[in-house]
Amino acid sequence: MGKYIAKRFAYMALVFLIVSFLMYSLYNLIPSDPARAELEGMKQTLKPDEYEKMYQDLRVRMGLDDPLVIRYARWMGLWPDVQDQGFNGLLQGNFGHSNFFKQDVIEVIKSPMSNTIFINIFSTIAALGITIPLGIYCAVHKGKKIDSGVQVVTMVGYSMPIYIIALIFMFFFCVFWRIFPISGTKTAGAIYNSGWEEFVDMFRHICLPVIVMTFASLGGMTRYVRSAMIDALSMDYIRTARAKGLKEKVVIYSHAWRNALLPIITSIIGWFISIFSGSVIIENTFSLNGMGSLYWTGLNNLDFELVLAIQMFYTIVALMGSLIMDISYGLVDPRVRVDK
Amino acid sequence: MSNNKKEFFLVRWFKRMFLGQRPELSAQDAEKIQTPMRQMLSNFVHKPLAMIGLFVFLAIFVFVMVGPKYWVLDLSEQDATLVNLPPSNNMMDVPQAMLDAGVADIAAGNTYGIGTDVNGELYIWGHTRITDKIDISNVPEEVRAADLQMIAAGTDHVVALGTDGQVYVWGNTRLKQDKFSNDMEKAMKKGGKAWEVVQVEASNQFSAIVTSDGNCYLWGNGNMADIKIRSKYEGKVAKVALTENEYICLMTDGTVAYTGYKDKNSPFARIPDEAKKKGNVVDIASTAKSVAALTEDGQVIVWGNAAKGEGNVPEFGAKVVGLYGGRYHYTALLEDGSVVTWGDNKYKQLTMPEELAGVKTEKLFVSNYQNYALDEAGQLHTWGLKGFTLGTDTLGRDMLTRIVNGGRVTMTVGAISVIIATILGIILGGIAGYFGGKLDMLIMRVAEIVGGLPFIPFAMILSAVIGTRLDPTQRMYLIMVVLGVLSWVPTCRLVRSQILAQREMEYVTAAKAMGIKESTIVFRHILPNVFSLLIVSMTLDFATCMLTESTLSYLGFGIPLPTPTWGNLLNGANNSIVIQQYWWQWVFPATIFGICTICINLIGDGLRDALDPKSIGR
Repeated sequence: MGKYIAKRFAYMALVFLIVSFLMYSLYNLIPSDPARAELEGMKQTLKPDEYEKMYQDLRVRMGLDDPLVIRYARWMGLWPDVQDQGFNGLLQGNFGHSNFFKQDVIEVIKSPMSNTIFINIFSTIAALGITIPLGIYCAVHKGKKIDSGVQVVTMVGYSMPIYIIALIFMFFFCVFWRIFPISGTKTAGAIYNSGWEEFVDMFRHICLPVIVMTFASLGGMTRYVRSAMIDALSMDYIRTARAKGLKEKVVIYSHAWRNALLPIITSIIGWFISIFSGSVIIENTFSLNGMGSLYWTGLNNLDFELVLAIQMFYTIVALMGSLIMDISYGLVDPRVRVDK
Repeated sequence: MSNNKKEFFLVRWFKRMFLGQRPELSAQDAEKIQTPMRQMLSNFVHKPLAMIGLFVFLAIFVFVMVGPKYWVLDLSEQDATLVNLPPSNNMMDVPQAMLDAGVADIAAGNTYGIGTDVNGELYIWGHTRITDKIDISNVPEEVRAADLQMIAAGTDHVVALGTDGQVYVWGNTRLKQDKFSNDMEKAMKKGGKAWEVVQVEASNQFSAIVTSDGNCYLWGNGNMADIKIRSKYEGKVAKVALTENEYICLMTDGTVAYTGYKDKNSPFARIPDEAKKKGNVVDIASTAKSVAALTEDGQVIVWGNAAKGEGNVPEFGAKVVGLYGGRYHYTALLEDGSVVTWGDNKYKQLTMPEELAGVKTEKLFVSNYQNYALDEAGQLHTWGLKGFTLGTDTLGRDMLTRIVNGGRVTMTVGAISVIIATILGIILGGIAGYFGGKLDMLIMRVAEIVGGLPFIPFAMILSAVIGTRLDPTQRMYLIMVVLGVLSWVPTCRLVRSQILAQREMEYVTAAKAMGIKESTIVFRHILPNVFSLLIVSMTLDFATCMLTESTLSYLGFGIPLPTPTWGNLLNGANNSIVIQQYWWQWVFPATIFGICTICINLIGDGLRDALDPKSIGR
């Protein structure tokens, strides 16, 4: 097992390098000149030839004339900087400087990241808590009225784009019944007397986005769980188990469910990744301060160091997801030997 | 079966759907004759839900593909006077009571009509809400009580003249629309002969009145409009015509003059020579951006900014006796009682009702987008802007046109990206599956990376980085390619796994033994067997691609505005004002899009079940 994980990590690192290199070179397609931007303020005070000299010096110091691979390696922290010959890149924890926020990227990212992770994990748990029992129930009561009803609802759920669901929920919960605030992560200008009040306020704001995300993922997941369970229930060993006189509960939860879990895990991980990238939409729709809306702001303002850092975050989430998926195969199903 | 085989497959579907005629086949026969593809089709047509999905989808498809021919998209379109209108079709529904009593005067605002009957009663119809608070139909009590003789409708206010010479203004009065000028107050107070009003006009936040002693008084929002008159023209005005922000006057000596102070750079101040000749002009009229004069010999001269066809004066069959201007069109009444119109026909301002051809028109009331013609028998004929079936958006564009054209873009983008993804998937999956080895390893690793990338952020980045240098059309192609390139992975996996299974089959061995080329075996022998599975995945991918495109457009990284798609129609809908007050701006696009994707998914699910009868109910 340990060897397998080590191998996977090596593979992940390789993929990470490839993807980050691709992204970095993609950004270099954009015509921009950081050296000229840096000197813009001094342009008026300097003579043209002095300015030109400073500009060229700065270009050399910033390493702008080096080949793409070296610039990438420098950004990544695999190649020494021109100035002080030290390694100072992504791997050393330097995520760069955000042009738009005039702050280091790491500072900009901190609180949105916690928001995003909180929302995503919360809605994942909520969605799993609903879909798994619902899917199992539908599979057991296959073809009954409730099952067909759920089938129709889930079909609608996974056919509708998430932002339309968000608009409909906004209409009912924010405009019609006025239960939740329509956007933001906290009440504007609010002063909190205690941490609890702050938490309650944030909770009220985050509730609706979480409900929408949960609802949007119900459709696909319920169908997955249901079809996996139907497959498992149609197996011969289920008939055997029933013939032995086992209780129906034991048959369903112990025999069928454990066998249905394998395909479900595959889809859960894939879906978890898609939830992370899908939160771009939700965060924008509800104007939440999260990674997704930060990413959107960064892209719209051409703040590339910020965008690159967030993109790396997404890539790492995706890679970790697939690693967890592989490992959990082995945990769930002893027949799958991952270290082979 | 042999009998059935000759019939066209649609006929067969139809028979099975509605006539209940099913071919009697033994299981053996069916196995022998039907290819997987045929079996899938024949299973599919027996699924009511999937067939409903298919028909609804086809209806939507035809609607958005043929629709743009009738609802032509104009990308530069916008109209500040028609913004955020709710769905309606009643903008010219004149109350029967007014017709019964006898029409005295009619004026039309942008979206409403207002009129008086011969008894001085007031009638209002159409969409009268200007803002949340301001509604034209909130008529002040004093106006209700008064006997009205003349009426004029501006962009957001109404001016009415009582029989006692009193002038009333209501509607939006925040920009001094109801603040009369000092001279006018004086003249009104004096009353008698000096205050015998012959004409009332209203336009964009300003109004004008002409009295019988030749004075013209203007008032309203002077920041926008030219509301002053040079003193040398006082007492010489016979008629006034208001454009959007300026005005011209017909003088008592039969010439046309620009009497305001903005004559330096106004296009209306460059009056043609014929209109300057003494006694030559008998009538004037104006649209929002042009003015026209009718000369004594029946000739119509148009000048100003006549960009919407106002200058294309047609040949008249008889002498013109009256000239009237709408917002972008002119209507002329001829001596023989017939009506001629020209100019912009976007809202059918020029499409006269057929019954008007035979009758003799006595009076014409034209303003904005509406025309009312009163014939000898007292019948009223209307033509022009009746309303917007699905309302308008925040720039005054017709939602129906945008939805139809947006649907075409969304479907085209979805279809082309699915085709790109499928072709890529087939080629790569075919190579990986059939040749195996290192090539397989490489392709599957690439597929793993591409499939593992977070889709939406990656597509956003590609669109933002590459899209900055492209024009809108190129950007549309870019989105198709990006979607295609990012979504080939599932198809590739499907084709690969199918080929791995198929290549062990006997027919492949036979083909190999006959010495057929490897590539021919993959693409000509194996692929057709995988084809039915591909169709299922293509159908489901089509819905996914449409969803992704619309999501990207919704976020502003897809097809850029003003090109409409079902996604960017909803861009900007996420605030409470739009959600609540302008519900038609998101409900209609969301509904048609939702129905469309649901139908595609129904078809896809139905096809999948049809392909594998064992999976029914899964």
